[in-house]
Amino acid sequence: MKTTKKRNVEISVKTINCNEAKPNLQSSLLDYLLLLGMIFSVYMLTLQPAHAHGEKNLEPYVRMRTIQWYDVQWSKQKFNVNDEVSVTGKFHVAEDWPISVPKPDAAFLNISTPGPVMVRTERYLNGKPYMNSVALQPGGDYDFKVVLKGRLPGRYHIHPFFNLLDAGQVMGPGVWLDIGGDEADFTNNIQTINGQAINMETYGLANGIFWHSFWALIGTAWLLWWVRRPLFIVRYRMLHAGLEEELVTPLDRNIGKAILVGVPLLVFVFYTMTVNEYPKAIPLQASLDQILPLSAKVNAGVVEVDTVRAEYRVAERSMKLSLKIKNGSDKAIQIGEFATGGVHFLNKVAPVSQQHDAESVVAAEGLSLDNPAPIQPGEERAVLMTAGDALWESEKLDGLIKDADSRIGGLIFFYDTEGERYVSSVTAAVIPKFN
Amino acid sequence: MSANLSTGTFRPYTGEKARIARAYDYLVLVLALFLFIGSFHLHFALTVGDWDFWVDWKDRQWWPLVTPLIGITFPAAVQAVLWTNFRLPLGATLCVACLSIGTWIARIFAYHYWNFFPINMVMPSTLLPSALFLDAVLMISNSLTITAIFGGSAFALLFYPSNWPIFGMFHLPVEAGNSQLTVADMFGFQYIRTGMPEYLRIIERGTLRTYGQIATPLSAFCSALLCTLMYTLWWHIGKWFATTRYLNRI
Ligand SMILES: [Cu+2]
Repeated sequence: MKTTKKRNVEISVKTINCNEAKPNLQSSLLDYLLLLGMIFSVYMLTLQPAHAHGEKNLEPYVRMRTIQWYDVQWSKQKFNVNDEVSVTGKFHVAEDWPISVPKPDAAFLNISTPGPVMVRTERYLNGKPYMNSVALQPGGDYDFKVVLKGRLPGRYHIHPFFNLLDAGQVMGPGVWLDIGGDEADFTNNIQTINGQAINMETYGLANGIFWHSFWALIGTAWLLWWVRRPLFIVRYRMLHAGLEEELVTPLDRNIGKAILVGVPLLVFVFYTMTVNEYPKAIPLQASLDQILPLSAKVNAGVVEVDTVRAEYRVAERSMKLSLKIKNGSDKAIQIGEFATGGVHFLNKVAPVSQQHDAESVVAAEGLSLDNPAPIQPGEERAVLMTAGDALWESEKLDGLIKDADSRIGGLIFFYDTEGERYVSSVTAAVIPKFN
Repeated sequence: MSANLSTGTFRPYTGEKARIARAYDYLVLVLALFLFIGSFHLHFALTVGDWDFWVDWKDRQWWPLVTPLIGITFPAAVQAVLWTNFRLPLGATLCVACLSIGTWIARIFAYHYWNFFPINMVMPSTLLPSALFLDAVLMISNSLTITAIFGGSAFALLFYPSNWPIFGMFHLPVEAGNSQLTVADMFGFQYIRTGMPEYLRIIERGTLRTYGQIATPLSAFCSALLCTLMYTLWWHIGKWFATTRYLNRI
């Protein structure tokens, strides 16, 4: 009697289980889709979307008073896969480095590509090749060169920029690059110290796939060994019926023992083989490069500039800087350009050829002076310089007056009658004027 | 009530019942497969993250410390469920196999096809030898303590040597920019990652660094000790999560 009753219960429970299976399946699928979505967003965060340069994202005072880029030029902007292209330029590290931004103790000169559409083959700072990161010195002058090689055809907006430890990315000026040709033609070969040639695109891949497959095969065999038998319900019942012996048979146990001995043995043998094959292997290199600034290029001592006061006229979108300028050179000089946060304000009355960044953001007539006459040798003059343009707003530099740190920083470019250039940095607290 | 069943009265399923029980097996397996591929892989990507993503993060210290430590979590929990309820010694292997599938899919599609990195630069590491060993220890010992101590330690200790055949060749020295780099470092230099400058790598740092040449074994033993604790912790998490409520009624 008792057993029949039990069997009835079993059957009814089974039916319920089967009915439950469907909503379970659906909700699990939904969970799974949610999970996939989460994974997807994690990758989005990790890998960064393709065209988010973030050139205007940083606070204006960070863009104006950290890395001050100038003379950034590309060797060419149209080239093919496998062609080399180089970007050169200079930057001044602001003396007036913002207190809220960590000092540039580790800085990495990078290129804002949407993934490795180019590979970086060489990189120089002050003429010295460097591979890791460097410490930059506030007030220091540097020049750089990065050599790149086209890998994926396309049209990309590319900037050199600095990753600064704990501070973020400070963008240099950007240009459009057109990479033509065929992706399949790309080659990238390097040599080890022993002279072994390495194709970076495929090196170690087949070997890696082999080892992954090798262990996957053994793992799959182990899984199938168990999965081929009745699993959950049956084993659960048997376990609770005290039939544990039948669930794990002596053969299973022997295979288990074989794994306990065999797997470590195989691992050890393969490890030893690899160690013998690559006795010259070294640890990953994790040093910081050491490169000192150039002799002063900005504030080199010939032309001295002192910033007395800076006012930002909100309605006119213009910055008025009161400067005290002393011309220590032996020729008359004129202000040709004021550059800050990637924007160049040019003085229309200064008849000099200005060398600014390729495709830079320029206010061609944005700069005016209260007294346009050249500053004579030895002369000391108070100058009111006005840099006015809608670019203050469109480049989001006018946010400065609402920041916790509302100091401006930038570079003034002077030219003498022979075309000689002198660069001075300026910095001052900005006072907003609303009418 | 199941305790009342004795060996004498046990009647195995036959016919329709056996078929339904088998169908249920497959349903559970397929769901588990998808669930583990998704969740374990996500858990791994969020925690081990860059150490597993990039070839130039696979150092002697942090990689063999962090990877097994996170890698043992799901296996321990799933073993707790599958072994205590079903005497199935495949929890670790199943989890790690799912992790491998998920990781390879992500590397090929998200990293290679979508973000153009060569696959060899983002090849995952393998935990399968460790997982097989863990399953075997549990089956032979039928003991949480022994599995935690011996299985957990072996899980960590086997990791570095079992991955060296895959990644050893990326540690050959290359002369570049008047300095010596590994092939792995060259990947980091050449294949531009805008959000991942070189200095962000957490490699070869910390107190173990002072031990120089024996940094790896030290790191592995450190990981072994932690894995023992991590295993026990996640075993209990697994038991707490798992419920065989409705199986009890069968
Ligand atoms: Cu851009």
